[in-house]
Amino acid sequence: MPTDANAGKPYYRPEDISRIDYATDLNDPGAYPYTRGRRTQPRHDANSWILQELSGEGSPAHSNRQFRDLIARGAVGLDVIGDTPSVGCLDPDHPFARAAVGTQGVSICRLQDFLELYEGIPLDRITVSHSLPSWFTVAGLYLLARNHEVTPGALRGSVIQTPLYGEDYCYAVHMPVELRLRLTLDSIEFCTREMPRFHSFVEDTYFVSDGGPDVVDEMALGFVEIRKVVRELMKRGLDIDSFGPRIAILVNCRMGFFEEIAKIRATRRIFARMMREEFGAKDSRSWSANITAHTAGSALTAQQPANNVVRGAVQAVALALAGVQAMEISTFDEAYRTPSREAHLLALRTQQIIGLETDCSKVADPLGGSYYVESLTNKLERRIADRIHEIEALGDAVDLSNRGYFRRLLEEAMITRAAEIQNGSVAKVGVNVCQIPEEEDTMLREVVETKIEPCLDHIELIREFKRTRDQERVRSALTELRSRAADPKESLIEPVITALQADATIGEASGAMRMAYGMQYDPLSGTPAPF
Amino acid sequence: MEVQTRDGKQVRVLIAILGLDQHETGALAVTAMLRDAGMEVIYLGRFASPESIAAAAVEESADVVGISCHSWEYIYYLDDLLRALERGGERIPLMIGGSVISPSDKARLLEKGVSAAFGAGTSSDDIVATVRKLAVASSN
Repeated sequence: MPTDANAGKPYYRPEDISRIDYATDLNDPGAYPYTRGRRTQPRHDANSWILQELSGEGSPAHSNRQFRDLIARGAVGLDVIGDTPSVGCLDPDHPFARAAVGTQGVSICRLQDFLELYEGIPLDRITVSHSLPSWFTVAGLYLLARNHEVTPGALRGSVIQTPLYGEDYCYAVHMPVELRLRLTLDSIEFCTREMPRFHSFVEDTYFVSDGGPDVVDEMALGFVEIRKVVRELMKRGLDIDSFGPRIAILVNCRMGFFEEIAKIRATRRIFARMMREEFGAKDSRSWSANITAHTAGSALTAQQPANNVVRGAVQAVALALAGVQAMEISTFDEAYRTPSREAHLLALRTQQIIGLETDCSKVADPLGGSYYVESLTNKLERRIADRIHEIEALGDAVDLSNRGYFRRLLEEAMITRAAEIQNGSVAKVGVNVCQIPEEEDTMLREVVETKIEPCLDHIELIREFKRTRDQERVRSALTELRSRAADPKESLIEPVITALQADATIGEASGAMRMAYGMQYDPLSGTPAPF
Repeated sequence: MEVQTRDGKQVRVLIAILGLDQHETGALAVTAMLRDAGMEVIYLGRFASPESIAAAAVEESADVVGISCHSWEYIYYLDDLLRALERGGERIPLMIGGSVISPSDKARLLEKGVSAAFGAGTSSDDIVATVRKLAVASSN
């Protein structure tokens, strides 16, 4: 069982929700405080939510073929993840990248890669989400749109922002928190002006909670980050309503079915009240959070991988009932690899079966009014709000990051979650209960264990590209980026755009910015700056 | 209670993650598990290379080196790592664990000279007992 959500009562009664005032606490779907969802009416068709799956594998050209395949099978969104070098702001020719180029996402380090990745993809129709460094993604997409002859203003999609927690957990880019936060603010400010339909502010509570924090800490950490970024943007003079409608929250969905639904409902209410009452947003679109969700990869098991298909379906039903704007199912092979073609198809079909064959999305918020769900929503709202205040009372989020507070919190949560499975206090079918002998565990084995080879050809291609480009142009653009980064008043997106146009790469641009912050160009392997 | 090698010193284990793999849950869980079992664990963490692991293992006098993996990067570092852990004809025992290690991977790893390999679902008792055995053997 997840956390303590189900502890206590055997069932719930009217008095458990007697203090709820319908108009102020719930209201109809599509009305403040949006507890019951963002939309008045759900769409009972294949587009009840944006169907997307984790995508990106190998070279940009290879990933492009994968995208086309997904779209042909009914995906209306793509969730593009970079391989570990790209996510870590390293080029494919970095000494650490050799074993990892293209194995867990797409290798993307330069403007040409964006062009190849999105060749023939209708960017004004398909919603493209990105788990990649935001500043690089925004600059690349801006140039891509111009190249595709669509205006950057027409671009849809999103990018995650991970300024406070990424370095501690899964998305380390080897930059100080001050620079990471600045890049977050710069990219949101740039998009607010130049790419207003693009969600440049996706608060990713999925990655920060998967395998670690429980639902309360997941959302509390998410809100601490949202609140820090919002306050900083307002300090820069931005009107809350200029970027508020484009804030999205990417949440996790584990196996605690009702707890996850209640979490999403509580999150919408906290967000609405925070935006209107605390930050003074006037535009109703700023009050209603866009919720997008991934089913929990950490809920999936290496043992009996076919069971993961069932887990994904159960979690996806929870998300359909909670009402989300976009959904992605972590596929059955997750414990081993990024999604195979077979796993992609099953995950998409799972979403389509729930969306088209069931009545899960026939009405908005079908669980609204349930004694249990409403009571749980209230309880989680209170616990999340208390936790936000508790963390904020400890100090400024940037200082907390520098003091290692978040790292300790995340480490402890990871150890706790792992111990719960080890000691059997949380049941995991096929792991600590209902096991079968290894030799009988054969279903879907062949698929999950098929390894993805690193793209050594792509490394060579990038080496050759670096040898043959206009070196003077690269050097001058990177020198300019470094000098702008040294001045805290400058925006960094424009010089990054210039650098990408000059054929500089993500690794080089990151190095230039690190140097402006007194860091080594390449803190991982000590390679000297090429300019 | 402290777990000791044959010469009476507390068992020292170095835990690291190779390359760019950023999944740490397994490494942290095993670290906590071995500490609870009375061993000294040096947590090297993410972004380790065969060279940095070998250097730390020598400097910290590690009896056993443990690699946690959630990606296939280990395959490409394995030969270098095994070589780097050799000192004067002996090798610091190397164990590799992670959900990505399938039964056939396990056999291949052992064949190559890895002292122990753990796939998903290995019990903490198994891991602790194996480390103890390797540490005692290595301090002979």
